[in-house]
Amino acid sequence: MGRLEHAITRLQQIQSLRDSGAPAVSPVCGIIVTVAYLVAMLSVPVDRLGMLLWFAVYPILAAPYLGQLFTAVFLRSLYTLPFIVFIGVFNPVFDTAPALTVGDFTVSRGWITFISIVLRGLMSVQAIMILVAAIGFEGVCRGMRSVGIPAWLVTQLLMVYRYMTVLLEECLDMKRARLSRCYGRTHMSLSIWGRMTGQLFLRTVARSERISRAMLARGFNGSVPFIDFGGRGRWRMSDTVFASVCGIVFLFLRFFNLSGLLGFDRLL
Amino acid sequence: MHMSDAMLSPAVAIAADIAAGALLVIAGSKIKNSTRDNLVPLMGVTGAFIFAAQMVNFAIPGTGSSGHIVGGVLLAALLGPWAGFLTLASVLIIQCLIFADGGLMALGCNILNMGAMTALVAYPLLFRPLLGFGGSRRPSDLKIFAVSVLACVVGLELGALMVSFETVASGVTSIPSGKFLLLMSSIHLAIGVGEGLATGAVIVFVSRTRPSLLSGDDIPAGKKRGIKAPVIAFAVAAAVVAGGLSFLASSDPDGLEWSIEKVSGSAELPDSPAPLASGSRAVQSATSIMPDYENTFSGIVGATMVLILVWSVSSVLTGKRRTAALRVPKRDKP
Repeated sequence: MGRLEHAITRLQQIQSLRDSGAPAVSPVCGIIVTVAYLVAMLSVPVDRLGMLLWFAVYPILAAPYLGQLFTAVFLRSLYTLPFIVFIGVFNPVFDTAPALTVGDFTVSRGWITFISIVLRGLMSVQAIMILVAAIGFEGVCRGMRSVGIPAWLVTQLLMVYRYMTVLLEECLDMKRARLSRCYGRTHMSLSIWGRMTGQLFLRTVARSERISRAMLARGFNGSVPFIDFGGRGRWRMSDTVFASVCGIVFLFLRFFNLSGLLGFDRLL
Repeated sequence: MHMSDAMLSPAVAIAADIAAGALLVIAGSKIKNSTRDNLVPLMGVTGAFIFAAQMVNFAIPGTGSSGHIVGGVLLAALLGPWAGFLTLASVLIIQCLIFADGGLMALGCNILNMGAMTALVAYPLLFRPLLGFGGSRRPSDLKIFAVSVLACVVGLELGALMVSFETVASGVTSIPSGKFLLLMSSIHLAIGVGEGLATGAVIVFVSRTRPSLLSGDDIPAGKKRGIKAPVIAFAVAAAVVAGGLSFLASSDPDGLEWSIEKVSGSAELPDSPAPLASGSRAVQSATSIMPDYENTFSGIVGATMVLILVWSVSSVLTGKRRTAALRVPKRDKP
């Protein structure tokens, strides 16, 4: 599957979530908990691997609570692994100071920090995936508006998101039309790419003029209103409980050495 | 160039988020004052357009490989610098939330590195003055390509410089700053040339078919063009970032340690052997927040085993329930 097809599939997956019933958390609660998790997890010093590992408990438990399978979230997060590995791959080379010993083997600090970077990257991606899958992209925008993000930015995000599928489909049609005429030459030269993209831009401008007239005709005043069907966007008692439990757990994991408290340090 | 959360410390990430937020607020106020009545839908659909354009690869001449556009300079040329910046920022936010490209905490860094450096620095300082669309004569194709390559290379190199700076300041990677900067700048030099050629190809096409679209600018008519606002914004951003970094980077002793060092010759006092003091130390070591924890293999293994156990129990409890997140709806088209 090409990047274009993959993007369309991913967008359709996200859009299908709108019909999957009321989310377990309100958008504001989801955003607050995710940001709190990221701040707490990323603030763990990079060489404290034993402390960092415990933060994986959030995606493992939050995914089923918010209606997802953690295995699927984990596998999907692996797509980002090459980029994360690239960041940390130099650490074992440049940081050879010994960090811990396993029998006769000495593990360098570089390897510890490398594993730590990979874990930080994967866990942060998983937290975002869980958030978006739980409340949907419109939910994220609704939450952003509720926490005070200006209407013009939220409107812009909703506009881009709404027309993304349309233009990706149009782009895919153009790509297929070109492939059917190129006799197997799949690589697109720069001049052809420039003409196709320019053509797509001209169609985009024409489309935006039509949309502009339609929006003005319907009384557009600069912001897109959110309609709260069935009170999905409201803060509920379950949000208070979820946010409180998560907050206490994040603070505990951040400031206490759980491995030490449970006695794992003395096992081997 | 999308930075992951794994590369950043919270202090650097939050400082960059504040700086990017300040620039976005300025961009929002500029757009509100714009005289172009259809700018809001145009920005929305153009954001979707640039995202679609990023998904189609083109062959990089002479290399046998392919690449895709980022679009900062192109968006600034099509919409104006502030509208282009805001549009690219919205694309970056969506990429982060839906496609996991870049981290949520790293959004500010990504907006500064990819959006601000191209649309607010390279475009107004290089592309616009050198090309000057809107005049009586259309610039030659060669000139468009040359200026596009120059602006994109400078924009991406500045972005690579910012990435190096932010990563080294975060202290996550062990690679020396000089080597990291060399690696990043050499990679982005090649990417910048490809980006410039792609930007030039689109601008040449648009300048031939609808040249009026390229003279668009989001600065209200009658106002003097200047870089005062970007300079102020970057000064604020630099102050915020520098403040965050100084908080992070200070390895000097604090006031109390400095005083003790001056009196006793050492930054830390020796432990008292008195029974009350040793008892207090025992209580403190058992209950202390953030103790000086050393990594131990058994601690890591223990934590990993518990996580696997939690994962297994969670999987058993949730069963093989397929959720909506996994369902791929059937597509209408083949």
